[in-house]
Amino acid sequence: MGRKWPVILIVLLSAAIIIAVIVTEHTSTLPGRRPPNPFAYDVDEFRSVDQELIRWRETRQVQLDREDIRAMAYAGGKIYLAAGNELQVIGSDWSRILRRNLPGEPTCLAAAREGWIVAGMGNHLAILDSDGETIAVSEVLGAESNITSVAILDDDIYAADATGRRVLIFNRELELTGELRGDSGVSDVHGFIVPGAHFSLAVNPEDELWITNPGIHALQNYTASGRLRSYIQRSSFGIDGFSGCCNPVHFTFLPDGRFVTSEKGIIRIKVIIGTGEVESVVAPPELFRDGTRAPAVAAGDNGNILALDFDRNMIRIFEPI
Amino acid sequence: MERKKTKSRREFINSSMRFGMILALGGIGGLAFRRTTGDQWVWQIDPFKCSWCGRCATHCVLNPSAVKCVHAYELCGYCDLCGGYLIPGHSDRSTAAENQLCPTAAIDRKFIEEPYYEYKIDEDLCIGCAKCADGCSSFGNGSLHLQIMHHLCVNCNECTIARVCPSDAITRVKGSDPYLMKGDFTKSTGFED
Repeated sequence: MGRKWPVILIVLLSAAIIIAVIVTEHTSTLPGRRPPNPFAYDVDEFRSVDQELIRWRETRQVQLDREDIRAMAYAGGKIYLAAGNELQVIGSDWSRILRRNLPGEPTCLAAAREGWIVAGMGNHLAILDSDGETIAVSEVLGAESNITSVAILDDDIYAADATGRRVLIFNRELELTGELRGDSGVSDVHGFIVPGAHFSLAVNPEDELWITNPGIHALQNYTASGRLRSYIQRSSFGIDGFSGCCNPVHFTFLPDGRFVTSEKGIIRIKVIIGTGEVESVVAPPELFRDGTRAPAVAAGDNGNILALDFDRNMIRIFEPI
Repeated sequence: MERKKTKSRREFINSSMRFGMILALGGIGGLAFRRTTGDQWVWQIDPFKCSWCGRCATHCVLNPSAVKCVHAYELCGYCDLCGGYLIPGHSDRSTAAENQLCPTAAIDRKFIEEPYYEYKIDEDLCIGCAKCADGCSSFGNGSLHLQIMHHLCVNCNECTIARVCPSDAITRVKGSDPYLMKGDFTKSTGFED
């Protein structure tokens, strides 16, 4: 016994050290060993989408070669992309038709079927021909202006200025010809409420101008003279409406006139009919990483939906099931 | 020829002690002067790194925490449907307790004009849990965010929150400019995505 006590002591000491390490590891708050956040902001119940509503499937992903893609437009079978000061045009076979450096960095794009392009450049606009050559430049609209969306309607170009909370109207020479503020002179219509840099507009197949009013979660249809003709307004954290300060962030139209909307916060893409009801879900939140940007959306001539995923630098194509 | 005067041991010890005391006094005075006039380093949260994990509320040596929510008013959209104020799935857009996201009702909602509302933080009630900051950043502009309040912070040598912060958001800043408020200190062009 007398000769064994050092061995027993070593064994006991080792056991004590092992137990201490296990207890320390178990109670540690270092990464990987943290208790759940008792103050977690939980929106999981709004992330889940009724599977019956998902009537689109993702059929293709096209990886882009730039990480700083800012804008996407679609017209005449071609996809137009802006990345830094570069304009890229992708053909219907996904081959790159054009890659051209521009004098500025576009923040938004619109393209005409004939191939000419309007680029919002933050505080001014530029018209480019189909080769990316600049053919007209607007005056600088003020250092604070932030053009976030552009659309072409006949000979007019509409530009949404998020900071100025207004829509500017230009002719084909990019001379400023008018302005919409969304107030319409009606007492209960209080103009565009734009809390962030998310202010979008688009023209539907009926040549009607639709503009988001993100502060009140609305899509509003205006006449060329600035009269409010109709609107859709739905505020909700659920799938049936829009939430937060700035939704819908992007929208476009399918060839049959249905709206396609893209939201931030709970990132999702939906198809909405004229009454404002959700007809189907194109992409549920589970297809996107939390905390990333709302994808820009465009609709192809064949009725497919193109989503520009800024997080994964790819165009994701959705087809109806 | 006069013999060169040599110091006795007693004289040497006395002069050494005098010199040492003067040096120590000078050092203490210098340190005190530096503390009152110099640039101290203090802890602060980089709001662009913060991931709203809730540990600022649970790991500060102070109770309630020295971390509080602050509001960058120039970024705020003054939204009626505020993701930082209203609980997801709220029954009504009102100040009723069941609609409020904040566990301590530290946010005061005030009607400005249709449809704008102002949101103010009651610092005494705020526990720095970041629930509102998470909601605001997810659905809004991120104008609600956390900061370490330096009239409360005891500036520990090793900040206990910094030890457990999963996003390395607690950083050292100069005491003369101790806050990293969004708007003043922004990494975007005025608006956040």
